Amino acid sequence: MVVLREGMCPGLDEDLVRDLRNADIKTVEDLVSSDTEKLAQKCSVSYKALLAIRRVLLAQHTAFPVSGADLYEELLSSTAILSSGNPSLDKLLDSGFYTGELTELSGGPGSGKSQVCFAASVHISHHLKQSVVFVDTTGGLTAGRLLQMLEAETGSREEQMEALQRIHVFRLFDVFSLLDCLYGLRAGILQQASVGGGGGSVKAVIVDSVSAVIAPVLGGKQNEGMSLMTQVGGVLKTIAKDFNIAALVTNHVTRSLSGEVQPGLGMSWSHVPRTRILLERVEAASAGCSSLRSATLIKSSRQPCNIRVEFDLQRWSRSKRGSEEMRTPEEMDSA
Amino acid sequence: MQRPVSSLSLNPGVKVKLVSAGFQFTTDLLHVKPQQLSKEAALNQQEALEVLQAVRRADEGAASSSSTALELLQKEEEELRSIVTFSSQLDAALGGGAPVGRVTEVCGVPGVGKTQLCLQLAVDAQVPRCFGGVGGQVVYIDTEGSFLIQRVADLAAAAVNHCSLLVEDQEQRVAMETFTVESILSNMFVVRCHDYIELLAELHLMPGFLSDHPRVRLLVIDSVASPFRPLFDELLQRTRLLSGFAQQLLSMATSHDIAVVITNQMTTRVQGAQSQLVPALGDSWGHAATIRLLLQWEGPQRLAIIVKSPCHRVSTVRYTITSEGFRDAEQWSEPLSQSETGKQGV
Amino acid sequence: ERGRETVRCDCVTGEGSWRSLTSSSLSPQLFARLEARRCLKDIEPRLFPAHGGPEHGDVVELHGPEGTGKTELLYHLLCRCVMPTAAGGLEVEVIFVDTDYSLDMLRLVSILDRRLTHSSGAASAAAPELALRSCLSRLLVVHCSSSSQLVLTLHLLETSFLSRPGLALLLIDSISAFYWLDRSEGGGSTTKQEEKLSKCSLLLARLLRDYRITVFATCHAIRRNFAGLPASSDFARPHLCRSWQRLVKHRLLCSREQTVDSMSDSVKGDKGERRRQVFGVQYTSPSLPSQRSSSFYVSDGGVQSEF
Repeated sequence: MVVLREGMCPGLDEDLVRDLRNADIKTVEDLVSSDTEKLAQKCSVSYKALLAIRRVLLAQHTAFPVSGADLYEELLSSTAILSSGNPSLDKLLDSGFYTGELTELSGGPGSGKSQVCFAASVHISHHLKQSVVFVDTTGGLTAGRLLQMLEAETGSREEQMEALQRIHVFRLFDVFSLLDCLYGLRAGILQQASVGGGGGSVKAVIVDSVSAVIAPVLGGKQNEGMSLMTQVGGVLKTIAKDFNIAALVTNHVTRSLSGEVQPGLGMSWSHVPRTRILLERVEAASAGCSSLRSATLIKSSRQPCNIRVEFDLQRWSRSKRGSEEMRTPEEMDSA
Repeated sequence: MQRPVSSLSLNPGVKVKLVSAGFQFTTDLLHVKPQQLSKEAALNQQEALEVLQAVRRADEGAASSSSTALELLQKEEEELRSIVTFSSQLDAALGGGAPVGRVTEVCGVPGVGKTQLCLQLAVDAQVPRCFGGVGGQVVYIDTEGSFLIQRVADLAAAAVNHCSLLVEDQEQRVAMETFTVESILSNMFVVRCHDYIELLAELHLMPGFLSDHPRVRLLVIDSVASPFRPLFDELLQRTRLLSGFAQQLLSMATSHDIAVVITNQMTTRVQGAQSQLVPALGDSWGHAATIRLLLQWEGPQRLAIIVKSPCHRVSTVRYTITSEGFRDAEQWSEPLSQSETGKQGV
Repeated sequence: ERGRETVRCDCVTGEGSWRSLTSSSLSPQLFARLEARRCLKDIEPRLFPAHGGPEHGDVVELHGPEGTGKTELLYHLLCRCVMPTAAGGLEVEVIFVDTDYSLDMLRLVSILDRRLTHSSGAASAAAPELALRSCLSRLLVVHCSSSSQLVLTLHLLETSFLSRPGLALLLIDSISAFYWLDRSEGGGSTTKQEEKLSKCSLLLARLLRDYRITVFATCHAIRRNFAGLPASSDFARPHLCRSWQRLVKHRLLCSREQTVDSMSDSVKGDKGERRRQVFGVQYTSPSLPSQRSSSFYVSDGGVQSEF
């Protein structure tokens, strides 16, 4: 429902807007839905003129239908696959994060979600020389940690600084600020970031974590919370599609009644990510905490689900180890 | 894609009124005058003004809050320091102590030393900058009645004594004149909260208090678990309240440059035939703190384990509690065989 | 009947024929063309009861939670429609209304590609890319991001309905996308909450009557009572507004069935097919007592029937 205003389109002047209002036509929707012929008589305006206005308004307020062949053409030329910087994860992701899509990492506390996000940002900014928008909602991002990861990649201080300059960090802690930020990006800050940020266009938007800001608004005034969640999902997906960006979000996990671990935020959110990965700690046999993590593919349109790989969080430290991933397709009971 | 009015931070009732009056997108509100809006959407003058302000904020707000990682790095290196714990091993493991600008959670069973660590930090936060401290004030929220003033005075005396032995130059000599037990106690704002409602109310007022007291560098809540535990029967409500609470803490830590230190109890989770001692308040609360420190007994010794941190490796150190406070365990001064598979590298 | 009358009216008044084109009535030549619009009764016989496939102007709802194969099924049906008759398709045009921004073109193309290769064998291997493109050119995609935009989009599409006699199928993925947005914008009144989707449904009802297009729409299951423990039957309950429910002639309830090991242990761990996820589809019709259940599974080649 967009309110009719004078000057919205040629021919829609002050008088006509007033006449339309008197005829109980307030919004674009009202005008488009009404019988043009009768309305023209009521507002004493020519049928032809009103029809033209209707046509323009429709074109302004809807997306233009695109042929599938054209979409495919565009997709072939614009889709990029951004490596996560971790060969094991890339295997699950069918080579990496796809631009135009939303990927989700879920996992419990300390399961390595943030580390994967940091590593991906560093990989994209350093190796691919592209900009990254990193939205930190948990206060977990430290530039010092990013620098550590970069130091493991290159000894050149200059390259490290350049890479850090290509990572744009937003710190925000509630869902409205997140929406402000995402709609802001949508409205064109993305282009500015690419101009001001030391070269490279923004190729990835990372939100770590999306559940930290959504969970507090769910449950109470249910409709409002669910609506805000839908909007976060929607704006992330449009950003991904329209700007050809890989969107990556993290989510917490909940336990079902049977004790099974599943991604948080419920059923309605489950439709939002195209690809979902569950991260878990691998319990070490010896005492102490292990840095081994497992990643399980739980939703994908490209790969069979439930493929599982293991990787070591230390891989992003000083030495570059060989790939130690083990591919163990494991049976997991479906929920 | 236009931004729907329903995505604005406004009262849900006001948003419903706006939409039913035909203002669905923020663009519909860009050229509207307050008077006109209040008439058309049946809002009072105040509401109409708030709506227009929210639209303007949403329009310009987003761009300003971003900074590049490079700018962050400079800030981290120059401004954000940590509050020392007086246990050099724990400080080393944490990269200097409890970091300013972040939320640190201390979990452990009763008597293992959570409160002692909090009291120690409350004293240490006031160590003058020339001694490597942050020279700040402290807000201490006590929910269990465990804040003992005599104990604080003892720790303060020990800290003053410790610093006085380190004095080397004129600046430090001057600083020592105002670093006394009295000044330490008078720069500590203690609040006693009896239930979660009081705690939430206190937290709600905190940003205002922090703006009035810009020297505050540490907020302690000892503990978060006890006020929220009675809500165990209303699990969903508790989860929602807690996740909102966590975001508030984070936001305060970041925007006021304070270290937030909270404590949590342990609880038993039974899974099949096994039972396990885990931090209380549930799985999703585990995401609340940026750094999670677990204090536990190993025989007669006390261990501190960093179980979660985005910038430190998982490591274990021994500590002890003396009459002077939280200290390194002396006999075992050589570091524990740190698990080779620490969470992160160096 | 209505169409004919209007046409006669126009002739009598002698107004320009451009007028009848743009209003919702039909001109004689169009009426003739519409007679020829392809019926999709045989779009996928295995999903519907015998002789019970969707007629001209019918609405089919695919209902189920995430991971139950709704989208896969939709792509499968889409492919069947846009593929040439020679390759076992229906060779009709399709409009895809993407409300969730979820159209996975890569997936669609890979399904289409497999099906084309499979059906034609070596015959059209000479120009597979060409065949693919010609299939895709029968598809029109339009995005939309709110239910009021959906209403406008349907108005806009009326022009396409008019000008494209080859158009037979309208896909909406998903019709429930704006459920929570509308709920929250409607405030306390259910009528207000459902107003926009009701408008869509009424408009769609008119368009279907006038243009006799078949509609397939997905509908995500929701958990209505957030606090309650979900009973599985709860997911199946329709939750969209009455006007939409009245429109739905066929309902396909999608569910996830047991995962079946399709390979013997010796082949396991090989690069080939590991397991296949079998989905269940249960057919119900609000107006007819008929029911039917069937299963399918998804492989690299797309949806395969397990009927």
